Amino acid sequence: MTTHNTAGVAKPDLTARQIRRMKRFDNPWRNPKLIWGAGLMLGIVTLGILGRLFWNTDLVFTGSAPLKLPPIGFENLRGQSGQAGFPLGTDGAGRDLLALIVIGAPNSLFVGLLASVIGMSIGIFLGFSAGFLGGRKDDTIRILSDVMITIPPLLILVVFQAAFGDVSLTLMAILIAAFMWQSPTRLIRAQVLSMRESGYVQMARLSGASTMHIMFREMMPNLVPYLFGSFIANVTTAIVTAVGLEVLGLGPQRIPTLGRIIYEAINSGALIQNLWWWWGLPTILLGLMFIGLLLINLGLDEVSNPRLRKL
Amino acid sequence: MTILDINNISIDFPTSKGVVHAVSNFSLSVPQGRRVGFIGESGSGKTTTALAAMRMLAAPGYVSEGEIHLHSLGDTNVLKLSDDEMRRVRLKKIAYIPQGAMNSLNPVMRIENQIWDGIVAHEGRVEQGELERRSRTVLESVGLPASVGQLYPHELSGGMKQRVCIAIGVCLKPDLLIADEPTSALDVITQRQVMQTLREVQETIGAGLILIGHDMGLMAQSVDDLAVMKLGKLVEYGTVRQIIEDPQHGYTRQLISSVPLVGGESFIKSAPAVLRGEAGPLLEFDRVTKRYGEITALHPLSFSLDGEQPKIISVVGQSGSGKSTMGSLMLGFTAPSEGRVTFRGKDINRLSTQDSLTFRKDVQAVFQDPYACFNPFYRVDHALSFPFKRFGLSKGSAHTRKAMEDACHAVGLDPTLVLRRYPHQLSGGQRQRLIVARALMLSPKLLIADEPVSMVDASLRATILKNIHDLKDKHGISILYITHDLATAYHVSDYVMVLYHGRVVEAGPPKEVIGAPQHPYTRLLIDSIPWPDLDRDWGSAEEAQKGLEALAEGKAADTVFRGDIPGFDLSVRA
Repeated sequence: MTTHNTAGVAKPDLTARQIRRMKRFDNPWRNPKLIWGAGLMLGIVTLGILGRLFWNTDLVFTGSAPLKLPPIGFENLRGQSGQAGFPLGTDGAGRDLLALIVIGAPNSLFVGLLASVIGMSIGIFLGFSAGFLGGRKDDTIRILSDVMITIPPLLILVVFQAAFGDVSLTLMAILIAAFMWQSPTRLIRAQVLSMRESGYVQMARLSGASTMHIMFREMMPNLVPYLFGSFIANVTTAIVTAVGLEVLGLGPQRIPTLGRIIYEAINSGALIQNLWWWWGLPTILLGLMFIGLLLINLGLDEVSNPRLRKL
Repeated sequence: MTILDINNISIDFPTSKGVVHAVSNFSLSVPQGRRVGFIGESGSGKTTTALAAMRMLAAPGYVSEGEIHLHSLGDTNVLKLSDDEMRRVRLKKIAYIPQGAMNSLNPVMRIENQIWDGIVAHEGRVEQGELERRSRTVLESVGLPASVGQLYPHELSGGMKQRVCIAIGVCLKPDLLIADEPTSALDVITQRQVMQTLREVQETIGAGLILIGHDMGLMAQSVDDLAVMKLGKLVEYGTVRQIIEDPQHGYTRQLISSVPLVGGESFIKSAPAVLRGEAGPLLEFDRVTKRYGEITALHPLSFSLDGEQPKIISVVGQSGSGKSTMGSLMLGFTAPSEGRVTFRGKDINRLSTQDSLTFRKDVQAVFQDPYACFNPFYRVDHALSFPFKRFGLSKGSAHTRKAMEDACHAVGLDPTLVLRRYPHQLSGGQRQRLIVARALMLSPKLLIADEPVSMVDASLRATILKNIHDLKDKHGISILYITHDLATAYHVSDYVMVLYHGRVVEAGPPKEVIGAPQHPYTRLLIDSIPWPDLDRDWGSAEEAQKGLEALAEGKAADTVFRGDIPGFDLSVRA
């Protein structure tokens, strides 16, 4: 209520800057949050690509570098200063941290994206089936997803991963995806239920459209903003889950990932030995990744819901 | 003595594409105890003006010039008050009765708590007993039993909710009430009761009333003075009698003539009908019953519509009378609980894939909401071309394009202005006409028109009804016209069925059924229509109540048959 009070009386002070900001909303996709978020994510991907091209990735192997070197411009407890050959320092097993990050960060992102793609695909399929077809199919899918939501994923995953031993990145993504489809299923089902009664779906039925046409040609395009939002949120959850498992020492044993680097740092007492770059750099990168995903999610929210756009 | 003086105000909305002048140079005074109506189409600035007096304009709108004075505040300009001073003016001096009572009440609070809210906000702590006494009084003053205070909003009907909103509005006895289309979501019978309540309460507390609306008939029955607005300008102002009997401005004349009257000759000229030469029953209902759980939406109903001579059958009734259920049954969207719906001898709920496509092609519909009927993701062409191709009518894209353009011309639209656009770029009237054009392209045998004009601006209704009527006359399509509006049913239809609680209570040619109704329900419906005629009064609340009581006394189940027309056979068997 208070927002109306002053707005109704005084002429809003429209500076050139504000008008420019209003203009920005003429094209909702030119959203600053979206651009910053996408920029951050692209930065991480670029790091992976450029790193592979211009940096020696063999330095991820144990013993390929001196031990526990600090980043350039710092000294470690032994008084050694950083070397240009290993700009971000090295870890306790003689691996170059830059090479680890160049390989590990895209791996972590890959697990998140793949798990989310699989989870969303299952979710879209089940959500549409439940919402549009209704009846017993709806009951089955709904009960199944509700039951699955109550199961804590980490518990099951720990058991699974421990049983599998060394897993590949893809298998890990598939295992995580098995706990990733419930919330998109519910979200899409709810949207489809309300959309099913809308005028244009009725019109499509009158036009003799098939169920598949109605679901994927009429309804789906209108759900794209929701799907994107849900997808990005799922990527975040999947990365958190993957990193959580890796920090526990589960997950891929031979492939560098951000979680694995942190696990080894903790395991080798990096915290006590003040080897902050070992665990700190991957943590910062994970932080940037989450901030980027969050910004994309917020940006997409504003794109799909104009009421959230503020001057 | 005037209560509210609006002096020469202009309201602007700055947008990125320049400033929109929503209202310009508007001046008006509301005298004490007088009812002033603001009438105009959507977008004419009537609500914006009223909201400016409450300082509730939506951002980024602002009053760029002019002054608003409330008599009880002396010389102070309302626009100069501080936020907290303004807060104390709202509800206490000016109360706002919103349009959608459905969404205006807090669903998790009891009604009486919502009334107390306003009292406590303005008077500080009040004794519990005093609060209870006042909410009882105010609920009784709007004709609701005091026990309603204990209920939650979802336990009330639409009309009751709207009355609760009125009760909240008048609980502090404000100087001015602003009612923004308070009855637009209600059917005619409830509308009459709510308007009568509003009028009586307003007279009791002696407040001024600004009634915002677009229906000239409702205005004629409810207000003393009328302000006609168009595109943010006041085009005419005077007493209702003066404006209705001697309108000066062309727009006012248009508004008055857009209200169809019952009686006299039809405003639609009937052209000789095109025979389709397909004898035999087109659509048949065989003791069709529809139940939703405990509730029977449609009692057993049988009729047979012959396909040889196209005709328009109207189904009339209040909301909840089962008329939309009937439409949905005919389209095969819902299956009947008992009985069979057959189209050309085939049960429409047991069709093979091939037959079902033919059935879809032969039975088309125009729905109530032209805004929802287009998929916002596609250009409007999609809605027209997709079924055309799907039913195998298209002989290539050039042919489809030609057919779309022809159909647009036939409903009076310029194809260059409407095709290749997105739905949100078109007005409601244009969209509804496009839907009619779509039906025309497919040339079905039967068209179900479910309230096709109820969401379109009044000035366009006649045109769209004419388009639909042309489908029958020029293209030989039989039409089932579902509506709550008896006046239009009177003009377009060949046969009328009045539905009440899922039963046909009166049926026959429109001149008999609507022109000289016999069933108490039909009579009540017709008495409740607000006439744009000052000498034909709406009557008082007691009369309306009496009408409802007469209905409740039974006899409602008997159908009054008022004559038959060839080609349509209605027989209601128990």
